[in-house]
Amino acid sequence: MPESVSNITAQMPRAKLAGLLLFFLGPAVAIYSLFSIYPLVATMALSTYTSDPSGGRHFVGLANFQTLLGDALWSKPFWNAFGNNLIFFAVHMCVQNPIGIALAGLLSLPGLRLKGFYRTVMFLPTMLSVVIVGFSWNLILSPLWGVASGALKAVGLGSLFAPWLGLESSALVTLSLISVWQFVGIPMMLIYAALLNIPDELIDAARVDGLGHFRIFFHIKLPLVLPTISLVSVLTFVANFNAFDLIYSVKGALAGPNFATDILGTFFYRTFFGNQLQLGNPTMGSAVATVMFFIILVGLCLYLFLVQRRIRRFAF
Amino acid sequence: MANLRIEHLNKRYGATTVLNDVNLKIEDGEFVVLVGPSGCGKSTLLRMIAGLDGASGGDIHIAGKPVNTLAPAERGIAMVFQSYALYPHMNVRKNMTFGLKFTGVPPAERERRVAEAARMLRLEELLERYPRDLSGGQRQRVAIGRAIVREPAVFLFDEPLSNLDAALRVSTRVEIANLHRLLKSTIVYVTHDQVEAMTLADRIVVMNKGCIEQVGRPLDLYYAPANLFVAGFIGSPAMNFFEAKVGSVEGGCARVAGPGFRSFDLPTASLRVGDTLTVGVRPEHLGRGEDGPFAVEGVVELVERLGESSFAYVRRADDRLFVAEVRGRQTPMPGERATFFAAARDVHVFDAASLRVSTQNDA
Amino acid sequence: MTAEQRARSLGVHLVLIAYSLLAVGPILLVVMNSFKTRSAIFGSPLAPPDATTFSLVGYEKVFRSSHILTYYSNSLIVTLVSMALVLLFGAMAAWALTEYRFRGSTALALFLSIGIMVPIRLGSVAILNMMRSAGLNDTLTALILVYVAQGLPMSIFILSEFIQQIPKDLRDAARCDGVPETRIFFEVVAPLLRPAIATVAVFTIVPIWNDLWFPLILTSSDSTHTVTLGVQQFLGQYITDWNSVLAALSMAILPVVVIYVILSRQLIAGLTSGAVK
Repeated sequence: MPESVSNITAQMPRAKLAGLLLFFLGPAVAIYSLFSIYPLVATMALSTYTSDPSGGRHFVGLANFQTLLGDALWSKPFWNAFGNNLIFFAVHMCVQNPIGIALAGLLSLPGLRLKGFYRTVMFLPTMLSVVIVGFSWNLILSPLWGVASGALKAVGLGSLFAPWLGLESSALVTLSLISVWQFVGIPMMLIYAALLNIPDELIDAARVDGLGHFRIFFHIKLPLVLPTISLVSVLTFVANFNAFDLIYSVKGALAGPNFATDILGTFFYRTFFGNQLQLGNPTMGSAVATVMFFIILVGLCLYLFLVQRRIRRFAF
Repeated sequence: MANLRIEHLNKRYGATTVLNDVNLKIEDGEFVVLVGPSGCGKSTLLRMIAGLDGASGGDIHIAGKPVNTLAPAERGIAMVFQSYALYPHMNVRKNMTFGLKFTGVPPAERERRVAEAARMLRLEELLERYPRDLSGGQRQRVAIGRAIVREPAVFLFDEPLSNLDAALRVSTRVEIANLHRLLKSTIVYVTHDQVEAMTLADRIVVMNKGCIEQVGRPLDLYYAPANLFVAGFIGSPAMNFFEAKVGSVEGGCARVAGPGFRSFDLPTASLRVGDTLTVGVRPEHLGRGEDGPFAVEGVVELVERLGESSFAYVRRADDRLFVAEVRGRQTPMPGERATFFAAARDVHVFDAASLRVSTQNDA
Repeated sequence: MTAEQRARSLGVHLVLIAYSLLAVGPILLVVMNSFKTRSAIFGSPLAPPDATTFSLVGYEKVFRSSHILTYYSNSLIVTLVSMALVLLFGAMAAWALTEYRFRGSTALALFLSIGIMVPIRLGSVAILNMMRSAGLNDTLTALILVYVAQGLPMSIFILSEFIQQIPKDLRDAARCDGVPETRIFFEVVAPLLRPAIATVAVFTIVPIWNDLWFPLILTSSDSTHTVTLGVQQFLGQYITDWNSVLAALSMAILPVVVIYVILSRQLIAGLTSGAVK
């Protein structure tokens, strides 16, 4: 039986194969190893050092991690950022994905008109820079401009308005929702593509069996796109625990008010580069990056071993 | 033009054997068709001749020269693929000349060859078109043209007609046969369709499970299949088989008997009493008319009418089915009891090892 | 269509229109108000600019007090060069990984896929050190190198899927034709990867254009800022000057929107082509 990989290499002289591989793989592997893998490894290595004021570096083993997780001066902001990051992620999972699924479901309805228009418009925010989106919402929600309060007043809910981004209690959730607003296009599109891949005959068969649109969606389509939904979830997880731009551009490096919006990305940046309150500390910054790496790794492993394995992929 | 010699060729993927000790000699200018059920190794054999798959053992010689270590392009072959494999981003002319660029054919010569192939295949009008604008049959002709301009020693065809509709398949088949007559080139042609094999081939190679079952001229395979597999594979509907035993041997004749058919004498000296046999008769050789040495009786269960003839599915006394082709307007009715006869030369007998028992009837 | 079906279809459209408004409303609002006088911005934010309220004062200010054109050209250079290299090297690597069988190919594929999930950002400390010691900090080259390294894993993954969809017969035909391996890649396979560019663009190029992090840590002077960073710094500086802020935001938004609208069909086709499942 023909295989996906060509057997041509079997007859090729070794030197020729080596030359081809070097030519085709060399540039990609070199750049990737040098500017992606090496920095990751070097950063982890650096996290086991400390620097003295003269600039010398000393190996300290896991001391930086002990400081980070044990010294209240460090551990309090770290756990604060971690907790905030969890909330940030939870909001995405609970709001972004359901909305994305719902929109994808609506878009994939047979015979829907203006499909292309809706898709284009709804995906537009995803294409923009987080910085621009964050700042635009900052203006819109600003009490100074009054657009948001005006809009709420127009529908009779004026009393609900508050400077959400400025309040310690609501700033984080508001920022999370801004991020959801921007990135809902990704789950929408990926799930939409997965829904399109379901053969029409299957849906027709369900209709012949007497199922309505809702039931078809929940009992046929949704189970079939579950692998995509779990992929979207893990993409969201990685993106969220690596987020930085939005908080930084709306709230600055200090992630105010009173660190209420501080997440691991901004915490890492402050530790590494310093700010008004402290000096930059590359070795502690490396330690924070290493911890973030392991958080992402744990998340990925949970996904691979708990979720991915249980989800059955269906071949059509 | 060249001959092709394959010796002790083996192919294994891990533990599975795809080809097992294949030996084959193809003469210069011969049209050889490899045929067999899917997974029999015929396509692998063709790809190994092309040099697209490596051998696990054995040798391939083209024009007397071993080619095992040569790249496909150095073997003097050209291949026509099932999917045509036309370069979608090149027009017909470019598709045909693209390969020549790399084998050192000067531009003027390229043009001459393309013009000639285009004339031969009626592609002149299509040279500037792209594959997406061509019909299936036209794409097929371009694929053949691309092979012709290479002026190969051996043409390899991998199921070239299986993507065409039935009518086009017949006309393209005729075209390929004409082309062979014109070019007088050596052709190895893979198909699973026995009609293609019978109509095109000088010689047919029947393959099964990685082995060659029989090599022979089309009518030889039909009238004297070497074993049970070939007997069952060639011919449609397939040959009827009846279990049998040798009852007695007397004066160079063996008495063959079995459930469901009338015992008959077989003029052969090679059988012993008690030998297990399989008797095979093709549906088209079972008639209701004149009496023959072979006779089988049963109740007609189903009749498939094709027009020119009908197939009767008949249940024998021992509860097995056989098929008989009935010509003309008078078809039997289901439920009817009928007896069918066959002439001695149309009765094939195979021994316990599935091999043909040669008889004086074969002469 | 029955009345019930019509009502349902209407409901679906209402939901989709409502969400579409929510998606473009804020963008429209910012762009619209950037063309208005300060009093009109605050007086009637939801009204489009008219003859009396139209003003370009914000744009004048942005051009005067920032190097917006330099930012544009920097972003353009960084994005286009990165895109070219990501596509070229990515396609070459994807070809070798899918087409040639060699010892260690699976391990290499795994190695290359680490970067899909692990953000290169976590190596920033070492990247900055490297760039400093190589004398590349505050150059566009540094950004390009990092972005190529960042984009390669995903592009290799996507392009491998596309290469696998190219019929195997085509490569075999080329080999029978005597086309050398490198030419098979560049003249037979590469031209057929054009539809993949859109998919690669969505997943690797758009994030490069929009990135704030690496310009922030790797560039320090105006002459190397990208649009995202330049606008971000401008916004921080002129936070109270609403005309300028809205104009700067619009200038960051508009080129992306224009290109997106022109290419949206291909981009969305690329996204939904099933290459990423």
